[in-house]
Amino acid sequence: MSDSRVLFDGPSGRVAVSFPFDLDALIADWDRLRVPMARHLPDAFARDEWAYLITFLESSQLLRVFTETFGTRADPGAKPVPVAALFQPLSSLAVWLPNNVSLLGPLTTILLSLTGAPLRLKGGSKSEDLTAAFLDFAREHLPADGPLARHLDAAVRHEVFDRSDPRNAAFAAEAALRIVFGSDEAVAAVEALPHPTGSTTVSFRDRRSEAWLDPEALDETVLRTLLAVFAVYGQAGCTSPRRVVLLGSDEEGARQLAGDLAATWPSVVKRSPAPHESSSAILGAQWARALGWSSVRAPGNAAVFAAGSLDCEEFDVPLGLSIVAASEEQAIDSLPANIQTIGHALSVSRGDALPARLAARGVERFVPLARMHHFGPVWDGIEFWRRSFRRIEVGR
Amino acid sequence: MSTLLDLPPFGPRDDARFLAEMNALTLRHRSGCEAYLRITEGMEPATRREELPFLHVGLFKRMALSTELADVRPGRVLESSSTSGQGASQVRLDAKSSALQARSSRAILADFIGPERRPLLVLDASASLRRRGGMSARIAAAMSLEPFSEGMHFLLGDAADPASLDWNRVLELARVHGSLLVYGFTWILWQAWVEGRPAEVERALAGTRVHFVHSGGWKKLEAASVHRDRFDRELLRGLAPGSKVVDYYGLVEQVGIVYPLCESGFRHVPVWAEVLVRDAASLACIEGEPGLLQLMNVLALGAPYHSVLTEDLGRLVPGACPCGRGSRRFELLGRVPRAEVRGCANV
Repeated sequence: MSDSRVLFDGPSGRVAVSFPFDLDALIADWDRLRVPMARHLPDAFARDEWAYLITFLESSQLLRVFTETFGTRADPGAKPVPVAALFQPLSSLAVWLPNNVSLLGPLTTILLSLTGAPLRLKGGSKSEDLTAAFLDFAREHLPADGPLARHLDAAVRHEVFDRSDPRNAAFAAEAALRIVFGSDEAVAAVEALPHPTGSTTVSFRDRRSEAWLDPEALDETVLRTLLAVFAVYGQAGCTSPRRVVLLGSDEEGARQLAGDLAATWPSVVKRSPAPHESSSAILGAQWARALGWSSVRAPGNAAVFAAGSLDCEEFDVPLGLSIVAASEEQAIDSLPANIQTIGHALSVSRGDALPARLAARGVERFVPLARMHHFGPVWDGIEFWRRSFRRIEVGR
Repeated sequence: MSTLLDLPPFGPRDDARFLAEMNALTLRHRSGCEAYLRITEGMEPATRREELPFLHVGLFKRMALSTELADVRPGRVLESSSTSGQGASQVRLDAKSSALQARSSRAILADFIGPERRPLLVLDASASLRRRGGMSARIAAAMSLEPFSEGMHFLLGDAADPASLDWNRVLELARVHGSLLVYGFTWILWQAWVEGRPAEVERALAGTRVHFVHSGGWKKLEAASVHRDRFDRELLRGLAPGSKVVDYYGLVEQVGIVYPLCESGFRHVPVWAEVLVRDAASLACIEGEPGLLQLMNVLALGAPYHSVLTEDLGRLVPGACPCGRGSRRFELLGRVPRAEVRGCANV
């Protein structure tokens, strides 16, 4: 089956990973796709999303997935070292993509294509499917006889149907690994479908993220980074900050930050808001005030920022961000049950105690603000990409 | 109690009186509704109608807003039909406001369909009337026509099934009465009455004067390529002269105020109401260009829905209207287009 074998030196020794293609050539094809991508923006994609994909496809970024998972790439010409484990792609993968318009679909598809495993993708039936749009673009612009085009044709299938369609069962019946993006209900429905003995389900459900800031660390760069991260998906992104926590500050500090964010918005987000976005911000500002927050709108009613106490009831509009001041204890105590990422800008070293405490509360990622949306082979704390391979122990 | 309601709905306007009554309402709701007080904190009484504060229509889907004052006797909750997929709006009615709102809708509708009473045929099920605790927008709209009815007849056996229309009842009424009034949601009127109408009924209605009144919007029919001209033509086929189709625009958040489409294609603002158009980004009031409709009226005493910023697009049209109903008029252009939600959360 395999066309190439790549060696890595990791913590448990040398491993060999098999692929049904020339891995370096495939990665090079992904990298080359960036050239036409830089010239054409398909209608389905927002500019920020397309730019993120272009960066994601850079060859060193893709190779990093392997080094993070398996270790340092071994020099095939060097003295042979016994292989301690073999990794082979699973017989097939099935992915239920998010129903929202989400970049997670194309990103997951790219990463899983690197495993060489046959891949079946179910697109969201209720919304524009970015994965289909991306695959169409790739197939149109890749050299037809290149390894990536051949692999996409032979091993990657994308279909759109709803959750009641019998193809759901067909997907589940064949897949050695099922990856589901969805609500708890959707995940349970997929898990309940008949599936091969020994196969696995990995699920990515509704998660929330926050930004934690030290007042001392607040400068223009942090403000702009926070806005840039937030503006991509607003409250609809699982890695977007739904709340900003200003550690060790007070409500006046939170109000000041809300005002600063609103004032800085136009210099970070250049595009004018669509009327429905402005309408939504107006609603958010009033809703927040009704609930006891102090709200301020960005120019053009492009977004709304609301400062309040931990006791204030939440409001939820797409480009609405709440800001609270809290001690570290209060911030930890008020974390939602489905917390995923905390993006931080902290000036004081809090040592290793804080990440450990956050981990105990279910936080999967504690990363600098700028990396909140960074997608990789480990997501929600799950090594989904590594689990797309079977590991065969080799003893001597 | 507003004295504007004593005036002809589309006669000369008294803008100063309207502004004074709206300011009084704003003060009233600030004193009785804590949420409204917070939202309007720091606002001074308006010196021009453009300064009158508004509540965003979306608040009524998310909060139960009411004004707690001694003279407010709470009544039923009126619910919208939730066509946007964002949940239903809920408006708490009260006895005094309901009386004013009934007078208002009667005065407006009489200007379009005449005051005489005739059998009212409602494309809904009578079971809808008996819903506990609340009232749907559909039923409220039908009930607003009660002053024009000589007997109300609910024609659907199942409110959700246009095919359950009782044509025998229609035949009986058509054979006895020379004039009928029919109300239904726009898409139900098409599916139940036009698509389901038997030839026998069409023959029985020939020569009958029928006024069709409908509301609810065109989204479903536009998806099926049924536009207004065809809709009206099919409804009126074979009927007596003087038959007409009246399409009105109204919101539960402005209950009592309806905006029928006039013969010249515009919607007129009664003297106890007002319409502004605002640019979404700047909230500046604009005339002649599309923007968000802000709808106001002096009838809402029991909850702060006297001034509402909608997510409907409209355009004020200056100048006298050929229909003769005065110069305060607008065009309704549809809902604000929404983009799909982008992001991975909560799917």
